[in-house]
Amino acid sequence: MKQAERERFLISPFFVFFTIHCSQVGIGVLSFQRNLNEKAGHDGWISVIIAGIAAHFLIWMIYKIFQLSGSSEDVTNINIQYFGKWFGNVLNIGFVVYFLLLALIVLRLYIEVIQVSMFPLMGTWQFSLILLLLTYYTVSGGFRVVVGLCVWGVVIPLLTIFPMLFFPLEYAHYRNFLPILDHSVIDIFKGAKEVTVEYLGFEMLLMYYSFVKDGQQSHKWAQWANVFTMFIYLVVIFISTVFYNEEQIKHIIWPTLTLGKIPEIPFIERMEYIIISIYVLVVFPIICLAVWSVTRGLKRIAALKQRVSLPFILIILFIASLFFNKREEIEQLGKIVSTAGFYLLVGYIPALYMYASFMKRFKSKASIE
Amino acid sequence: MWRTLYSIFLFVFLLAGCESSRIVDQVQIIHAMGYDWKNGKYIGTAIYPTFRQGPMTKPDILTTESSTTYDLIPRLSSKSALPIEEGQMRLVLFGKSFAKKGITEIVHSLARNNKVGSHLQLAVAKGDAEELLRITAETTLSDTLYLSNLVEQNIREMNLPNTNLHIFLYNYFGKGRDPFLPYFEKKGNFVKLEGLALFNDGHYVGRIDLRQSFLVKMLLDQTKNGVYQIPISRNKQKGRVLLENLFATSRYSFKKGKQPVIDIHLHIRAVIRDYPTWLDLPDKRAFKLVRNQMEKHLNKDITALLSYFQKKEIDPLGIGDFVRSHTRNWNEKSFYQQYQQLTIRPHVKIDIVQTGIGE
Repeated sequence: MKQAERERFLISPFFVFFTIHCSQVGIGVLSFQRNLNEKAGHDGWISVIIAGIAAHFLIWMIYKIFQLSGSSEDVTNINIQYFGKWFGNVLNIGFVVYFLLLALIVLRLYIEVIQVSMFPLMGTWQFSLILLLLTYYTVSGGFRVVVGLCVWGVVIPLLTIFPMLFFPLEYAHYRNFLPILDHSVIDIFKGAKEVTVEYLGFEMLLMYYSFVKDGQQSHKWAQWANVFTMFIYLVVIFISTVFYNEEQIKHIIWPTLTLGKIPEIPFIERMEYIIISIYVLVVFPIICLAVWSVTRGLKRIAALKQRVSLPFILIILFIASLFFNKREEIEQLGKIVSTAGFYLLVGYIPALYMYASFMKRFKSKASIE
Repeated sequence: MWRTLYSIFLFVFLLAGCESSRIVDQVQIIHAMGYDWKNGKYIGTAIYPTFRQGPMTKPDILTTESSTTYDLIPRLSSKSALPIEEGQMRLVLFGKSFAKKGITEIVHSLARNNKVGSHLQLAVAKGDAEELLRITAETTLSDTLYLSNLVEQNIREMNLPNTNLHIFLYNYFGKGRDPFLPYFEKKGNFVKLEGLALFNDGHYVGRIDLRQSFLVKMLLDQTKNGVYQIPISRNKQKGRVLLENLFATSRYSFKKGKQPVIDIHLHIRAVIRDYPTWLDLPDKRAFKLVRNQMEKHLNKDITALLSYFQKKEIDPLGIGDFVRSHTRNWNEKSFYQQYQQLTIRPHVKIDIVQTGIGE
């Protein structure tokens, strides 16, 4: 492909900020305080910081992997380069399945939120169909359209939902933070493990790296995106800690949504309905990005055209979303995806990084000799 | 390509019209709900507005009884022509016998119910909740929100500490604190706010009057309102002054040790609204005298209130929570075992900011 022609499909490095931040902050923000509170109690904010720093390292590793491997393509290439055609493709298929599950769980969890708090009588298929048709529209527009959606998926919720989080400070009990470090270091690290999942999402960079103009230039934006994500999580955990007490939070499924019950303006009494509605802008880009990654992965593995594979993937997602109806099933699926994501982060990425740096050293030594 | 996109859009909009709608004049919006326990049965009372011509509404009442609390609202439905909607509920009133039996079930149900807002008020009625709701429906011309507005007005302007569903749940679930609710009484043909009902673990255990609830209000948080009458005397002349709180702050401090001591420093900036004519307030000596007597009196009242709480083994002020924030590995059980012996000392400081425009 000619350079000029190719450039039409690329995004400038700055937009990596939006894609990464957008894919990190998802449906988990609504409920992560619960699991965190179980492990680290009111010291949860320390866990959030620890997990955030770990995410910084992992992003750094991803960029290093691309640098070391010398390829500016994507992870499918790197897998084949390092692990051979056969095993490399097994890993690639693993990635595709993971992204598919990610899209599925985000879709299903969001529909669950709507069903529980807004339209209890509505079936899953209606929402699923609407969202997936929109996904078709977006993803078939190409990667740049997906990124455009990510930008609005960050900006609009930031302007609308984020300020509402501060209203509950009216009921703040700042004493809840004391005594600091009341939980053991082990508990805090256990909490950090719970939160790590919330930073997931930047691993999709492995798929769209080749669509970023001057890939390595975007590194600093990726790091800033993670800083911003950490900031948002810290704000949420801070407000939830002073607003709820440890015992109370155990009884609430979506603590962040319940925070939205506090702001009250004369013509809208219940803000959480507005929050849930706007939240589609947080969730929808993640689904698009994940579906796009799946089609991209299939293209790299099996040379399937994205336009061809996209409808099939959406049909699979649609049918799969109908199978998860009970809360336990959804939770189970969520657990599977988050465990897979966790090991992808703490297992695969560092291993690949070490392997890549080892190979580099090995090669350079060989060439000197 | 474009044709498919257009058809997609059409489809999306058509589907978006499929949601379930609830039209405002085709549902029965409950504004207040009462729960009673009488002769081995639970009684539920709902008060709702019926819309007449123009802006006038008339409060109407539905009541039903059942052997459990769970199906009271479904049973109300069987007496109503329109579907019952609890999304606008502003007040839940518990009869005293119901509150004594325990409000745990209702509270948990409210905590789970995503339809009700966090600003919902809970309250306790002396006697029957049903009776009180009937009085408000009769005496007020068109106001189904009478009691909830009454509570909110008193929180904003008078002696009632801030309460609502969120605060109640916070106190109820939280370790080292106990919930309290506004307490209503029937006075003739009127409903009157008579202080605070105190709870231990979801059971009504006692009440304090409005004067004392002003103390609770100041001790809980920064407050800006409330009035308090204090007797004063000079040279055998006796009288009362009315203190109006402008801004009060409370600060707790904790001395560890074998005999832990909790000091409460209460700083009140106040206006003296009314005072006896024999008192010449602009006079500095009289001023000082009044202030000293007020401080002393408030100290005495607070001590009495605290020892009442200790005697009842309840902690509406969240003293346990305060100690928790200063103790590592705080244990709720062992703290409340020695709660009754705990020394809590109030130190009141009053700044009289002004005494009105006349002398």
